[in-house]
Amino acid sequence: MKPLPSTSSKTPVKFRMPTSENLVPIRLDIEVGGQRFKDAFTWNISDPDSEVSVFAKRTQKDLKLPLAFATQIAQSIQTQQTEFRSYKGQEMLTGEKIVPIKLDLRVNRTLIKDQFLWDLNNFDSDPEEFSKTFCNDLGIEDPEVGPAVAFAIREQLYEIAIQSVATARESRNAKKGRRGEYSSISSRSTGAALDLMKLFSNRYSGVRKRKEWDVFEPMVDMLSNEEVAALESMVEKWRDLEEA
Amino acid sequence: MASTEPPAAVTPPSSKPNLLPLASPTIITPSAAASVAVAPTASSSSPATPSVATPRPIPSDAEVFHIPSYSCWFSLGDISECEIRCLPEFFDSRSPSRNPKAYKYIRDSIVKQFRRNPSSKITFTEVRKTLVADVISIRKVFDFLDAWGLINYSPAALNKPLKWEDKDSKSSQHAADSPAGPSLDSTPPVRETSKRLCGSCKSVCSIACFASDKYDITLCARCFVRGNYRVGLSSSDFKRVEISDEMKTDWTEKETLQLLEAVMHYGDDWKKVAQHVGGRSDKDCITHFIKLPMGEQFASSAEFGSSINKLNQMKDDNNISSSSSPSKRLCLSPLADASNPIMAQAAFLSALAGTGVAEAAAQAAVTAVSEMGQGEPKADIRSLHGVQGLQDASITSNGSDVLKSVEEAHSGVNPKPEEKKVNVEEVEEEIRRVAEVQMKQIQEKIVHFEEVDSQIEKEWKQMEQMRDILFYDQLNLLKHERAIRKSGQQAAEGVRTQGDYVS
Repeated sequence: MKPLPSTSSKTPVKFRMPTSENLVPIRLDIEVGGQRFKDAFTWNISDPDSEVSVFAKRTQKDLKLPLAFATQIAQSIQTQQTEFRSYKGQEMLTGEKIVPIKLDLRVNRTLIKDQFLWDLNNFDSDPEEFSKTFCNDLGIEDPEVGPAVAFAIREQLYEIAIQSVATARESRNAKKGRRGEYSSISSRSTGAALDLMKLFSNRYSGVRKRKEWDVFEPMVDMLSNEEVAALESMVEKWRDLEEA
Repeated sequence: MASTEPPAAVTPPSSKPNLLPLASPTIITPSAAASVAVAPTASSSSPATPSVATPRPIPSDAEVFHIPSYSCWFSLGDISECEIRCLPEFFDSRSPSRNPKAYKYIRDSIVKQFRRNPSSKITFTEVRKTLVADVISIRKVFDFLDAWGLINYSPAALNKPLKWEDKDSKSSQHAADSPAGPSLDSTPPVRETSKRLCGSCKSVCSIACFASDKYDITLCARCFVRGNYRVGLSSSDFKRVEISDEMKTDWTEKETLQLLEAVMHYGDDWKKVAQHVGGRSDKDCITHFIKLPMGEQFASSAEFGSSINKLNQMKDDNNISSSSSPSKRLCLSPLADASNPIMAQAAFLSALAGTGVAEAAAQAAVTAVSEMGQGEPKADIRSLHGVQGLQDASITSNGSDVLKSVEEAHSGVNPKPEEKKVNVEEVEEEIRRVAEVQMKQIQEKIVHFEEVDSQIEKEWKQMEQMRDILFYDQLNLLKHERAIRKSGQQAAEGVRTQGDYVS
């Protein structure tokens, strides 16, 4: 096999979500007067800011939450938006980065466990498409699973993007300063990613080894009501322990 | 069935629809083939007719969803021009996640989700939790579908204020103000003066906004420039409205009353009217006056005044009944009367309040006046009372009656005949009714007398019988008396003869 030319291996790129659209995962966890509201959704960062308050008001009204939630929701969204935007001017490193994305979530009564590889370099990737296909193929009935899966993927991609910004900064500093440790830093930065070359170097085919099949197989499980209740009470207990 | 509103020319001031102001529910079946067939026939049911368009026989097991007639272009199978125009961001390839395919996915999912349970309203949050897309795209499509009645639409909701109104805090005032029935409000419901919300982006208009009076739409400057308006509108339909000017153009009730007074006094002289109102140009006065619900009535009443006058004079001469003639001088023509402002005001107010109320008020006034005015024995008023009492039973509420009673109250004050407008036939009708009533009276009296007559006859007969009996008794008595006397005499003679023998 001829070695594939590593195209944009070390050239930095302006920060953005490594997906076709700059959609930011927003997570809400607001507690007002004893009522807790948790939510997670995708937000288009290029939409005008007026949408934030409109959305917050809408959500508060639809879910019949007390009025204080509207402002809190708006604030939270705006904070996360600003955070994202603060990364905007920065550069991030993109190597040939194939990263494993793990799904481990529970939506209502559906448990999902999955692991797959994602190409960070592919700026046309679309977690939404993936999620839709995923739900279709696995015959998931609960419609709320789709957005949750897409969100989880985005969140992880976002994390990785932020990390790559940090490493890009480090490497820049390293270039300016200490030359010696450059190689070790760069190798650390790509530690999480798998080098395509290494993956395929010894093989004649792209098929996975049999023992790795279990790891990469999606698992969908439906919980009964009691199990859900038990799980939730456990989560509550952990939370209380943390807060105490 | 939705109540018909006059097509497009007069929009109810309480609503600010972005859509054409007529919604007649159309029945649409979800089958893919239905989309094309339903559209042309549904659109042919023009805004003037409220009929539901059911052009084809619907199979009995098909599900039926109601959508308004202005949304008949919609079909689940494809994307129509209307959608492209209203949601351009999905079709201009500016952002990769907003493309026609994504739009179709979002739209179809929302519609299907709603149709699973069409009787309950679906909220945005419910929808966005189940769709794999960014929430703002979902919101845009959701609002679009909501606005066009493709979701959350039920024919029962037609009478409620449209959804834009919900955003305004003052919309509740609108709902309360809008006339429920055909009552004549002297002022149209108070328009919001503090905030103008843009119809499409729903933000508060600050400095200037663009309003289209033709369709009663308000757009903020941003939306107007962006071209964010509905199908069928062009930029020429809008005119710029400065917000500061907006405050001044709302007519308060006081101003409207002044306007009407002025019109009554000055008729067509709009300059004087404008002066009287104060603060309004003559053009403003004219436009506002036309918009009033009663404008037409006033405008056409001038010519009736004089003919009614002549008729009334004739009636006077004939003197059908002294009581009813003054009451026949009925007209409702505030314009024509300049001499008695009180009367004109009363007429105007009574027209405003509705006939029932005014009649009751007039009755009360009449009783009060008759109690007060005892110094001048107004036989007229009392007889009028009597006549009216009889007439009340047989006369339906009529503007003329109202003024009749009002007239009575003031007849003590102002003996001059009042000119008011009424039809000639109505006057004759009244006279006929009065005559009928009196005839009935006489008839009843006749009947009563007949009864009395027959009763007297019976008594007389009884009396005669008694006299006969008495006579008979008397005769008997006499007979007895004679008989006894005779026997007495005989007995006396018998004793004498026997006595002779003895001596």
